[in-house]
Amino acid sequence: MPTRTRFKVPVKRSQSFGLNITSMTDMFTILLVFLLQSFAAGEVQIDPAEGVRLPQSMTEKNPVDGARVSVSAKEIKFDQKVVALIKDNKIDSAALDAHDNQFIKPLFDELKKLNTENEKLAKTGKVLLQADQDLPYATLRKIMYTASMAGFPNLKLVTTVGN
Amino acid sequence: MGRRFKLLIDRNAEFELDLAPLLAVMVKLVPVLLLSSAFVQMMIIETDLPQVVQEAIKKQEADPNAASISVAVTTKEGVKITLTEKGKAHIEVVGLGQDKQIDYPALHAKFVELKKSHPAIFKIDIQPDEDVAYKDVVKVMDEARKARAKDLKFPVKDEKSGKESTTEYMFPEIVFGNTMDG
Repeated sequence: MPTRTRFKVPVKRSQSFGLNITSMTDMFTILLVFLLQSFAAGEVQIDPAEGVRLPQSMTEKNPVDGARVSVSAKEIKFDQKVVALIKDNKIDSAALDAHDNQFIKPLFDELKKLNTENEKLAKTGKVLLQADQDLPYATLRKIMYTASMAGFPNLKLVTTVGN
Repeated sequence: MGRRFKLLIDRNAEFELDLAPLLAVMVKLVPVLLLSSAFVQMMIIETDLPQVVQEAIKKQEADPNAASISVAVTTKEGVKITLTEKGKAHIEVVGLGQDKQIDYPALHAKFVELKKSHPAIFKIDIQPDEDVAYKDVVKVMDEARKARAKDLKFPVKDEKSGKESTTEYMFPEIVFGNTMDG
């Protein structure tokens, strides 16, 4: 019986081929232009706080440095440290002073600590406030009041660019 | 007589540009830019103003009899603007629209009207109610701070040089009037 030989595809293993990278270069050029446009060139970089949807504003002022306070629907943070909890848009009563319900004691303590640790920043009296857009003014007022009492009366409201 | 040598040039010849080094640079640049890019552009609302406007605010603060404007923001009635002049208070209300939201175009028109009649006022007091959402407070501040129409300018006098100039700012200094209330 004659044996059948298996068909072999003729492949030249030493063959080289030229990759056409023109279209890829085009794509990278477009990407590069887009990224250069959105490149953050501001003097201060603000990291968006977790769980905070900032309101939109028409302001054109770039961020400046200051004490960083963020307020989400769940908590108040000073830098990255949680200083008070929020439930149903109300600050946890444990964080409020017993004699003054506008005064947030843990936030005041942190801001006072900043007065000694970073004197240069504290002298400016600036507070960068990142607050959720749906929070009621009552919650924000307590933070403004406390910041003012701690020697930070220059409030800077952080917003996103919009119409 | 010798013939002049002619260089043979094939004008229809094609060549391929070596894009590999360019691509290598881009591949390195793209991740660097991706890491340092801000996809959410953040700005701040503050009261840093041009010099002339700041001087006008100081002048307003120095004169206790000067006219002042107070803006109360409520969820039930809308925005109540109180103009106090020569001891008399004149109140105007910009009500809520059909969707129970503040009528922002009407509010802006009211601020423009106020600024035209009182160009010396640059500072206003804002007093939102406890239940007013933060985004509504920011919107009201936006409507008051600057004129939306590009061609709309308001007169302002430079106290140092005595020259008249113009500004697009209406009420750039907004103070939360009820922050320290109990």
